[in-house]
Amino acid sequence: MPDWHRVAEEADLKPETPLGVRVGDTQIALVRLEDGIYAVSDVCTHEYALLSEGFCEDGRLECPLHQACFDIRTGKALTEPAEVDLATYPVKVEDGAVFVRV
Amino acid sequence: MARVVIVGAGQAGRRCAEALRDLDPEAEIVLLGEEPHPPYDRPPLSKAVLLGADPGNGLFVRAPEFYAARRIALRTGARVAAIEPAAGRVVTEAGERIGYDALVLATGARARRLAVPGAEDPRVLTLRTLDDAAALRARLLARPRVAVVGGGLIGLEVAAAACRLGCAVTVLEAAERLMARCVPPAVSDLVAALHRARGVTLHLGQALRAIEPRPGGLVLDAGAVRVEAELVVAGIGGVPNTTLAEAAGLAVRDGILTDAQGRSSAEGIYAAGEVARFPHPFLGRAARLESWQVAQNQPAAVARALCGEAAPYDEIPWLWTDQFDWNLQVLGDPDPAFELVRRPAGEGRATFLALDAGGRVRGAVLLNNGREATPCRRLIAAGKAVDRARLADPEVPLRQLA
Repeated sequence: MPDWHRVAEEADLKPETPLGVRVGDTQIALVRLEDGIYAVSDVCTHEYALLSEGFCEDGRLECPLHQACFDIRTGKALTEPAEVDLATYPVKVEDGAVFVRV
Repeated sequence: MARVVIVGAGQAGRRCAEALRDLDPEAEIVLLGEEPHPPYDRPPLSKAVLLGADPGNGLFVRAPEFYAARRIALRTGARVAAIEPAAGRVVTEAGERIGYDALVLATGARARRLAVPGAEDPRVLTLRTLDDAAALRARLLARPRVAVVGGGLIGLEVAAAACRLGCAVTVLEAAERLMARCVPPAVSDLVAALHRARGVTLHLGQALRAIEPRPGGLVLDAGAVRVEAELVVAGIGGVPNTTLAEAAGLAVRDGILTDAQGRSSAEGIYAAGEVARFPHPFLGRAARLESWQVAQNQPAAVARALCGEAAPYDEIPWLWTDQFDWNLQVLGDPDPAFELVRRPAGEGRATFLALDAGGRVRGAVLLNNGREATPCRRLIAAGKAVDRARLADPEVPLRQLA
């Protein structure tokens, strides 16, 4: 059963600056956009690379290795070479702490 | 376009077939590869495959059933022996004649062989194919002393992998610095320091003269330096596979000469990927580029040409290498003659920007800093003078300067 996990402090998240976190073996990229904080899988679906080390702009997260782009809100793979969407995770903020449900 | 035959089922051949299918649902597409494997991308060969790590989707990018589902007639183990342009057909080694309305040569390159006495010894290997990588890995697992000839991308990736597998590794490089063809001296020095810190012995400015067989091993004679090893790997570049094209009368000069969309000198025959030498808008000269990027995207421009669309290939050059836990990416043209601005990015990370005499960013090297690849590409594409102090200031986002 998915459960809520505390993964970061809200103050640690700067706009469009992804933060990589872990819940057990699950690697997650947290990103603050203008309409809230989102969580997607941190691992590119094309080849192993951490998306939290990539470039972020206009709600898109770009893989630092091959520049495949993903929609941060939906996880959708937007450009080659990625074709598989990212997993997305629900996020909530309570008393300045960020939780994801994994 | 009735029937398109693509010779060469590597990344470039695959990408041409896929792009053509996207553009033309009707075309008959035949993809001929001489290797026994379906198309695969080569970057993992000198990294994950040597290490025995999972390359994910980065090796066989497509599932086996992909080709039939996209109506791409993939034929592996089918080596083409000749092109008959007048008859519009190719002849396979098995004697089969396959007619075409258009022909794409995606024959790639092969590993350059050492041209010194003793180089034919079976303990001297090269790395080009999946089978080469499997054979090399099997030898590395016995932890021989390894001598790598060539301090370029492949040589250094092999050196790093061999080192990680527990081998004692020596690299012999004829030039005075590593990766001299693709990065500025300051970056070469950092890469050399990385390898030395991990225990790799580097001999720079030492050209190999001969390989001498000895009981149980080999001695590499580089004049001032002699290196003992049980296994030698030559990573001294690639040679384009142009034999078929030359025999068919195509214009060839270290690559098949094409226009910016892969059209060769012969009507109806195209070249895709690293076998093609084409006018490069950014570099301002004809170039033959051996990179994942060219294999990935130039063949799509060829597919557009096949469909009558004018859309030349004009990307800013880009390549990457992974050595130990470092990722280095090279964008544009970081010519050693340019001024180099270092932009720190935290522990073990930096971006180096190469500025021409007019203060314009012409190239960049990203050291463990792929995050800045896209803003660097924009800076290079913008082609305008940029303030050096702001470039070097990590507090100024690069995208504000582009």
